[in-house]
Amino acid sequence: MTSRTNGEPLVRLAGINKWFGDLHVLQDIDLSIDRGEVVVVIGPSGSGKSTLCRTINRLEAIDRGEITIDGQRLPEEGKELARLRSDVGMVFQSFNLFAHKTILENVTLGPIKVRKQSKADAEKRARELLDRVGVGAQADKYPAQLSGGQQQRVAIARALAMDPKVMLFDEPTSALDPEMINEVLDVMTSLARDGMTMIVVTHEMGFARRAANRVVFMDGGRVVESAEPETFFTNPTSDRAKDFLSKILNH
Amino acid sequence: MEAVTENLDAYVDGFLTSLSIILWSLVGSLVLGLLIAASRVSPVPPLRRFGLFWVTTFRNTPLTVVLVFCAFGLPELGFNRSFFFFGVLGLVLYTSAFVCEAVRSGINSVPAGQAEAARSLGLTFSQCLGQVVLPQALRTVVPPLGSVLIAMFKNSAVVGAFGVGGDLWSTGATLTSARGYETLPVYIGVAIGYLIITLTAGALLQVLERKVAIAR
Amino acid sequence: MHSRFTTLAATLAVASVFLAACSGGESEEAAAEPTVAEVPEFEAGTTMAELAEQGTITVGTKFDQPGFGLENLEGDVEGFDVEIAKIIAAELGISPEKIKFVQTPSAIREEVIEGGEVDMVVATYTINDKRRERISFAGPYYEAGQQIMVAADNDEITGPDSLKENPDLTVCSVTGSTPAEQIKPYLADPGQLTLFDEYSQCADSLSNGQVDAVTTDNVILLGFVSESDGDFKLVGEQFTEEPYGVGIAKGDVAFCEFINETLAANEEAYAEAWESTAGQVEGAETPELPEPQPCS
Repeated sequence: MTSRTNGEPLVRLAGINKWFGDLHVLQDIDLSIDRGEVVVVIGPSGSGKSTLCRTINRLEAIDRGEITIDGQRLPEEGKELARLRSDVGMVFQSFNLFAHKTILENVTLGPIKVRKQSKADAEKRARELLDRVGVGAQADKYPAQLSGGQQQRVAIARALAMDPKVMLFDEPTSALDPEMINEVLDVMTSLARDGMTMIVVTHEMGFARRAANRVVFMDGGRVVESAEPETFFTNPTSDRAKDFLSKILNH
Repeated sequence: MEAVTENLDAYVDGFLTSLSIILWSLVGSLVLGLLIAASRVSPVPPLRRFGLFWVTTFRNTPLTVVLVFCAFGLPELGFNRSFFFFGVLGLVLYTSAFVCEAVRSGINSVPAGQAEAARSLGLTFSQCLGQVVLPQALRTVVPPLGSVLIAMFKNSAVVGAFGVGGDLWSTGATLTSARGYETLPVYIGVAIGYLIITLTAGALLQVLERKVAIAR
Repeated sequence: MHSRFTTLAATLAVASVFLAACSGGESEEAAAEPTVAEVPEFEAGTTMAELAEQGTITVGTKFDQPGFGLENLEGDVEGFDVEIAKIIAAELGISPEKIKFVQTPSAIREEVIEGGEVDMVVATYTINDKRRERISFAGPYYEAGQQIMVAADNDEITGPDSLKENPDLTVCSVTGSTPAEQIKPYLADPGQLTLFDEYSQCADSLSNGQVDAVTTDNVILLGFVSESDGDFKLVGEQFTEEPYGVGIAKGDVAFCEFINETLAANEEAYAEAWESTAGQVEGAETPELPEPQPCS
């Protein structure tokens, strides 16, 4: 991607604070993600993990603190922000495929409009990506004709088509029927294996154990614990993490 | 109905004048309305405030007053154009506020996630609006926009009273007042002229509605 | 002659032109009331006998035509047309307060006569053959004529013919008015004609340069000229003849002849009627009663 391969983190969040009205949803968050690292963010609902994920490409503005991506400070609104966002892939809980465009058009829109690729190049690459996530045969259909699992895999292909430096996943499996969760997680796991830098907000502990380099546990708008998966799951240090894990593991 | 048959040429002239007022105003108010709607949903606060100011001003001022300001106010400021220009301008300013609100309601009907997905791909504000939001908004926009535009077609009759003359409405006044024809038949003819325009527009809108409903 | 949706405000604006013109000299006292005939005798079955019997008459007139028929702030109509109606009514033994004036804009004048809603219409009503197909006219009682008004510093326009010579010149009149129709043969291009609902709007457009000329009947233009403080002037001669008649039911020859005789017999009241109304405008000459046209 770039020639810069020194030890500097790819994504750095420093002193992030955000309020929704009186609600202090993010409190003094410091977090660094290295190139190629897969970070899974877990925590109870309302802990601020989704909001945190959305601040990284400024779908949510922060009130205080600083976010840098590949050494560049996240700009405010405008063309600069759009350019930076194009390097940050995002996968949403509700897929958000463009309802009026075919699967293929969904994947080629960004490369054509933002990267200024030719239609032919963009389509060639799009078909490769759709094959890779296993929905190549659906290219000419509209989103509403696909299952949730298929739609989410298309959404991943759409993000990958921009050749992002980092991928954000905001609860990518929470809206899926149970039998479709694995098909999405499999794609994500293989992405992780291929060295993609990923920040994943999820409740899927299996994925966290299997694919993450690090687990970040959030509660009440703060990062409470940050550890390797094995350490975190077998030996959490905070009471809140212990409490959270006991609830979901008994579940 | 001899009032109509004897004066068919006057009706045709009036019809064509009204039609050209309507077509110019149609193009003008759609373009302007769209721009104002874009500024109302833009991420730039001064633009949003400007959009709100525009809509508040022109949606809440009677058309005749807007036309008075165009036809008499602008020349007073040294801005001299034809009354046709002023008439179309007034109708465009007035209608743009309603077009804007119809478009904005359509934009609001598109789930926020669609715009978020577009922005997260790196699309600029105008690309996001043009590629993702507006095409989907179209479906909900067409019916209310149709009402706004048909209302504008009928409002064009008011423009005739501001120096334009020769439109369908004034043709009616000329035939009854100056040429002494009976009022009712003359205005039945005028009504038919407007109905030709509005009913055609209504039919086109229905075709359009069906088209955008399928496109998904 | 005026179009139909005249707003009160605009009417008042035009009215003020005339009121201001009036304030110059003599008292605003209306014409000396014509002497009401004591016991008029009419042949049974005629319109006159009917009206004299019932003791009232309904007259259609303009309520928005300065100098001819204009509603004042008290709700009474004033003007030359109104005075003419009073002269006729007096001869029927009907006093002014027994006259019921109803507003008849240009567009509905034939209709109210045909429908019998009024007994006669005195409303700047130009006699022409098209109208004669539906109603009859007594009179004329006045010969109006169309003229051209321009800005005082305009030397280019010397009359209606100037408009044909230079297609860039524009002229303003009122939608649906006879003057608007009659100027058309003098135009090189129909686009030269600008139409409004009110002559006051034409005058505004003349003063801000949007139009080059205004045309209508001379008495109306004189009102604007005298109000303009020297900004406007009339150019050229009267180029049309607008005989104003009294509209009555079609074929009522007896009533027509009665009206013509009445006008001819009341020359003094006629002159006073003019001088107290339309004649108040500077430059308006007191007319002679025109020769009546044959009744039919």
